[in-house]
Amino acid sequence: MADRVIFVCTLILAGVYFYATEQLPSLEIGDPLGPKAFPRLLGIALVLTAFVLLLEILRARKTAPAAVTSEPSKRGAYWAVGAAAIWTLFYFMVFEPLGYVVSTSIYLLVLTAYFNRGKWTTNVLTSVLYSLLSYLMFTKLLGVTLPSGILPF
Amino acid sequence: METLTHILNGFAVCLQPINLWYTFLGVFMGTIIGVLPGIGPSAGIALLIPVTFGMNPTSALIMMAGIYYGTKYGGSTTSILIRTPGEAASVMTSIDGYEMAKNGRAGAALAVSAIGSFIAGTLGVVALTLFAVPLTSMALKFGPAEYFTLMVFAMTAVASLAGASPAKGMLSTVLGLIIATIGIDLQSGQPRFVMGVPEFQDGVGFVTVVVGLFAVSEVFRGMEGLYQGTAAPMLKIKGKLWLTRDEWMRSIGPIWRGGVIGFIIGVLPGAGGTIASILSYTTEKRLSKHPEEFGKGAIEGVAGPESANNSDTAGAMVPLLSLGVPGGGATAVLLGAFIMYGIQPGPLLFQSRPDLVWGLIDSMYIGNVMLLILNLPLIGIFVRLLYIPAGILYPLIVAISVIGAYAINGSMTDLYLILFFGVVGYVFDKVDIPVAPLVLSLVLGGMMEQSFRQAMTISGGNPKIFVNSGITVTLIALSVISVLTPFILARFKAFRNAPLAETD
Repeated sequence: MADRVIFVCTLILAGVYFYATEQLPSLEIGDPLGPKAFPRLLGIALVLTAFVLLLEILRARKTAPAAVTSEPSKRGAYWAVGAAAIWTLFYFMVFEPLGYVVSTSIYLLVLTAYFNRGKWTTNVLTSVLYSLLSYLMFTKLLGVTLPSGILPF
Repeated sequence: METLTHILNGFAVCLQPINLWYTFLGVFMGTIIGVLPGIGPSAGIALLIPVTFGMNPTSALIMMAGIYYGTKYGGSTTSILIRTPGEAASVMTSIDGYEMAKNGRAGAALAVSAIGSFIAGTLGVVALTLFAVPLTSMALKFGPAEYFTLMVFAMTAVASLAGASPAKGMLSTVLGLIIATIGIDLQSGQPRFVMGVPEFQDGVGFVTVVVGLFAVSEVFRGMEGLYQGTAAPMLKIKGKLWLTRDEWMRSIGPIWRGGVIGFIIGVLPGAGGTIASILSYTTEKRLSKHPEEFGKGAIEGVAGPESANNSDTAGAMVPLLSLGVPGGGATAVLLGAFIMYGIQPGPLLFQSRPDLVWGLIDSMYIGNVMLLILNLPLIGIFVRLLYIPAGILYPLIVAISVIGAYAINGSMTDLYLILFFGVVGYVFDKVDIPVAPLVLSLVLGGMMEQSFRQAMTISGGNPKIFVNSGITVTLIALSVISVLTPFILARFKAFRNAPLAETD
């Protein structure tokens, strides 16, 4: 099943990429090929890949009937991962407005509260201390710029 | 003779206190990264690039190479104590290593890993010292057409060997090349496929792709495991960290053979440490008088694969340094680091910057000595890292990745990219699409297009230039063979179910 989805996605991507390549204006100065030739080659390679994928799907169907079952525990894990990904997205959205230290502390606190359940002292200490110390180390010592946000330093 | 002078001068470079310090820092971080699950050499090196900006390139590259070969030492520790390979290449060690630990021989398993890694790793660096220069004299004859076909060979080899399905390896390779075409075309100044995002004009940074694919996605996988609560109990180190006489006798053969296998596999593109250790394991099992002990704690099953995956790293440095074309994911990240420092590895670098090349190679001798010390008498310190609860470790890895990605340009786009590629890497893992080919082709994509267009300009647009010399014909033939190899290997039962995925 998954392989068939990959096959269709590959074909769609090839189509979109071919289209986008043809939209590029032709500027052929001192270069007989121009900026389109290599992308065209890649588009062809993508179609070829789709063809090989199809061959593999057909061969797999001949040898063994695909039996994909998704157990309920697996589905719960997918939800947990999805939630973690969305939580990371929220973290990035407030990263600059709130600043590195505050946003990272909150981000870590929530994740550790869920994945390292019940150990509040450790979780709070790690989240806050890590954010603060890494901020000071990178901005003051290594000269890396991180957003200060709502904090004055 | 001139080369010998360069080699000796290299020691003068790497023995400078500052470079000794960076060698130590590199192998120290490499050991930590190797011990910790969720972060591997590729992500480790990529995260360091922005932080090391402004450093002397020689020191920075010495440190990053230290991370690369240092992780192979650390990777065995988790294999032996919790049956979870810290690195993909240590997967074979977890079979007999964990069994040895259950039998109360954890100390011996850790000792033989460190000693084997040291002997084979040093052997590998000796071979690297001997073979790098002859290869550069060949590479000097390479024109754009030869380089283009060489890159095609590297990519087909990685694509066909990286995963269970060659088609998915191909897909991953082409996706990497497509991502590499995003940004301003260097020859015409024409922006391509930027999708209206101004930051994409400079291209999609490979650091963000690597951090997303190798660190963030690994965190998602780890969280999935935490949710399901699957983990083998951690075993304590019992017994002295040394070998009995009998264990020595049984290990010495596998260490040498593993060292040779690892180096050869390392030089060849595509295969990498995982395959080297699998090959070493099957070789030892076949040669053994007691094959039935394998899987139940045979020391040969630890000594061989651990040696193989260490000399593999030295082997992998050969094509990277002498040709400028890496043969795998982690060395591709190293090439990306070279390029970000404005250094193009290859035959010309041996002439223009012998101090850098030999300083780097010679630092690997010293790094291996340091690693032996870190991983034998001091291994107890690193084992403590395993007591960090995974529920804290994984969120922290995301936070570290955020600093690394944001530090490059101070741009939010890079943060959204690591999340995007984190999700992509997680999904790809679920549907068995390997990600190492994508990273390799992303790093090589720009060079590949340049050499393609240069070759076509030389020939006046005639594609025949790609079959005009003996070198290009050989390389094309090798590419075809590497595409066909998985289909031939599929006929051998031993390989059908072997875990060939090289996740770093």
